[in-house]
Amino acid sequence: MGKTNSAQSALDLLVLTILERRGPIHGYGIATAIQDLSQEALRIEEGSLYPALHRMEELGWIAAEWKMSETGRRARFYRLTSAGRKQVLSESERWASFTAGVSRVLRHA
Amino acid sequence: MSWLSRLWNAVNPRQSDEDVAEEMRDHLERRIAGLKEAGLSAEEAERQARLWYGNTTRLREESRDFRLWTALEGTLQDIRYAWRGMRRGPAFVITAVLSLALAIGATTAIYSIVDAAILRPLPVFKPDELFTLSWPDVHDPGSPAGRERTSFSYPEYLRFAAVAKPAARLGLFSFPNRVDAQGPSAQSAIEKVNRAFVSGEAFDLLGVSPAVGRLFSAEEDRVPPPHPVAVLSYEYWQKRFHSDPSVVGRSLTIEGKRYEIAGVARQGFFGVEPGKFIDVWLPATSYEERALAAPDWHWLQIIGRSAPGISPLRLAAMLQPSFHEFQFNAVKQYPTMPAAIRDQFLKSAIHVRSAASGVSSFRETFSRPLWIVFGVAAGILLIACANVASILLARSTARSSEMAMRVSLGAARMRLVRQMLTESLLLSLMAGGLGWLFAWTLAPLLVRSISPADDPVQLVLAIHTRVLFFCIGVSTLSAVLFGLAPAWQASGTKPMTLVRSSFGQLSKLRVGKFCVSIQVACAFCLVMTGAAFLFSLGNLLRVNPGFDARNVDVLEITTEAPKSDDPVAWIATHPGEEARLRNLTLQLQSQMASQPGIQGAALAMWPIFEGGGWSEQVIIPGKGPSEREEILYRVSPGYFATLRTPLIAGRDFEVKDSGARGLIPAIVNEAFARRYFNDLNVVGREFSIGKSVHRVVIVGVAADAHYYDLRTSADPIVYLPTEGSNSFTLYVRSPLNFGQVVRMLDRETQALGSGMRVRGITTLETIVGNTLTREKLLAGVGGACAFLGLLLAAIGLFGLLSYSAGRRTKEIGIRAALGARRTEIISLILKEASGLITGGLVIGLAGAVAAITLFRSLLFGIRAADPFVIGTAIGIFLATGLTAVWLPAYRAAKLDPMSALRQE
Repeated sequence: MGKTNSAQSALDLLVLTILERRGPIHGYGIATAIQDLSQEALRIEEGSLYPALHRMEELGWIAAEWKMSETGRRARFYRLTSAGRKQVLSESERWASFTAGVSRVLRHA
Repeated sequence: MSWLSRLWNAVNPRQSDEDVAEEMRDHLERRIAGLKEAGLSAEEAERQARLWYGNTTRLREESRDFRLWTALEGTLQDIRYAWRGMRRGPAFVITAVLSLALAIGATTAIYSIVDAAILRPLPVFKPDELFTLSWPDVHDPGSPAGRERTSFSYPEYLRFAAVAKPAARLGLFSFPNRVDAQGPSAQSAIEKVNRAFVSGEAFDLLGVSPAVGRLFSAEEDRVPPPHPVAVLSYEYWQKRFHSDPSVVGRSLTIEGKRYEIAGVARQGFFGVEPGKFIDVWLPATSYEERALAAPDWHWLQIIGRSAPGISPLRLAAMLQPSFHEFQFNAVKQYPTMPAAIRDQFLKSAIHVRSAASGVSSFRETFSRPLWIVFGVAAGILLIACANVASILLARSTARSSEMAMRVSLGAARMRLVRQMLTESLLLSLMAGGLGWLFAWTLAPLLVRSISPADDPVQLVLAIHTRVLFFCIGVSTLSAVLFGLAPAWQASGTKPMTLVRSSFGQLSKLRVGKFCVSIQVACAFCLVMTGAAFLFSLGNLLRVNPGFDARNVDVLEITTEAPKSDDPVAWIATHPGEEARLRNLTLQLQSQMASQPGIQGAALAMWPIFEGGGWSEQVIIPGKGPSEREEILYRVSPGYFATLRTPLIAGRDFEVKDSGARGLIPAIVNEAFARRYFNDLNVVGREFSIGKSVHRVVIVGVAADAHYYDLRTSADPIVYLPTEGSNSFTLYVRSPLNFGQVVRMLDRETQALGSGMRVRGITTLETIVGNTLTREKLLAGVGGACAFLGLLLAAIGLFGLLSYSAGRRTKEIGIRAALGARRTEIISLILKEASGLITGGLVIGLAGAVAAITLFRSLLFGIRAADPFVIGTAIGIFLATGLTAVWLPAYRAAKLDPMSALRQE
């Protein structure tokens, strides 16, 4: 799990942010939220969302439980833990400085 | 989710897998529904959704890696699988587990004794710094050197301690003795305790603290002792005083002398001698007064702690001048000492040896036999492993199609090896658990079998800690031993085997044959060494001791005066008391001899065969002092009749012989007469006895009799008439039991009003038997292991031949169809078997001869390549081997050719 490429940490940040803003939500919800909010600019390989969720669950950033969904079916709902909340802060800071750095380079190169 | 949930998911992977699958399914269904709403057809929606989702299997595996411990899950899967396999073949599992458990149990039990007696360091502060002093044994020219001597005198100890400072601190530890102890009140029961004398700083030296009260200090080293005090061991305090802390200050009577209890040593400290638990420690200064001043009274051992950086050699060099001075002065005391002996004294060098695991006479006696027995047990373990390996090989044949299937489905070879090793490990750990329980019961039994009843060997058998680790280690090792070859073999199965069924099994048989050869070699080695030990014991038991030990009770009797450790010296210092006791004891002897049911009674200084001895040089008129010291033994009238040692010439002692002045009557044995007079007709001849310069006249000649043990040939002995002593031995020949004899004796001593008391009672047979403990241990364990090894090897041989005969069914069928007779088919199988047996036999024979040469000194009347032993071993082995081989051969011969051919 040591690999922290920017794509993975970007996905982590997206998922954590959505969980922070929209409360307990299932995997499909997260996938559609990313898609809708980015106005279809970010179309991730949907399946890869789940290993990411399971990894973060393992790391203790998010917690999950089976609940009845709005359609009356069983679904696995994810929510942020307190460790996850801290993670959102530090990750978004890192992301901000990373993108700022990238755009500075693009501007002045 | 934490490691706990990962652990849980590994134990129960199905739940987790289903969760992941359901989540995926849920996602796909929602996506399909969404796409359909957007106007796509059902088929197109599903296609798009799956495309969008990605590789489901890969993603599921990825999640799995996060969610559970895959390594653990694999292992658990292996264990579950192995368990299922075992339940299918319970007969195999029971045989394998039982034979392994026996072998592991025996090895573990013996290891626990080896560990306690030999390996484990003393439970004291920094045992590595401890050392002990010793010097080479002085022996008669021509006879073999004995063990190193570790005994020193009190003046030597004091001098060494002064010289060694500050490079080392020395402490005094006497040899443990079993003595009578009595609690505070006069009504308290008298019991035997292990007593040891120590110097004042001995406890401090070892870093042992008190549990209650105080231990000894330098104050206790003052002569005379200011105040007689004693220290109890924790175990004795617990057992005898129920851990009562108020015991400090109360009194304890030991050998008739009162001591005040100063304190209790901390828990777990049993002294410095593994094999003996000390109950009571006394200050060295309360030992006999004379011993404290006598430089030739060797009664103590020295243990010291060296300062950092001081090597044993340097320490020895520091002590050597003082040691030499003592030796020089000692030699001066004996002007008649033969030059060969004197040189040994003057040239002897003091040694500094490690005492990290203590000093132990038990270890001296038993370390070699214990290692041998340990080796024997390891041999059994090897046989058991080879046995299980060959069964596993046979079984793997049955599983070859399963293996081929798994290999063709892409299972990695290491994965299969791991799987099969898990099965082996499971087997061996089950056997290990059982073996550990077995060792738990066996080890104390073994210890008891080698201890004399009245002075048991006591060892701290660390069954729960060190021994448990050993047991687990041995089990694991044996799993690898018996599991690796079959696992490697089976996992190498080519998928093609499914099609060509007999391919690739030749090498399997080769490994099987190798296993059986190991078994045969080990088993034969065990049978031969076992036979050697049994014959050796038999030879010893057949030795004519020169007396009849049956029905002779041996009573140790003491008067109320404190017992002296040296009766010879005591008599010299108590002339008046001697005459009184002489009369009393002789009266007791004649009274006892005339009782109904008593066939004979006689007095002696101490029992024969217990190591007690008095020897001096003899001077034959016209010749110089003898080269060696001869045994002197004081006995009363009736001794020869009671022990049934024939008198060849002359007469027995009479009452008037005791106390004779001037020319003292003596009876010598044939060995003595032959050595010094070259003639058996010696009645009336005179000679004198060394230092005490007694002049004696021979009044009788007795047949030869052994004095110390049965091993050495009968020694020359000079019998002298008894003198009065405050402790003596009474031999009673009677078919009556102990209780009746003791009651009779009590009546007589009361009538005499002498205050004599029985300190101990045993039989002469027991005493003689105690000198054979080592031989009995070796013969018992060696014989049992030989039998077990033989049985296991027979099973192995039977199994392999049945298997190979089964494989040759077709060949045998063709031979039978072509007209081969039964005898020819039997000889076909026998030929195969004899090849297997002969190879192993030759190796086993070589191994056994080497082993027997190595511990030749423990055997009696056995040559290294003893034809009788080899013949017997081969005979037993071949008889067993043929029985094991006959059944498969017979079965093959009875095969119906038609059905055999149809099988293929």
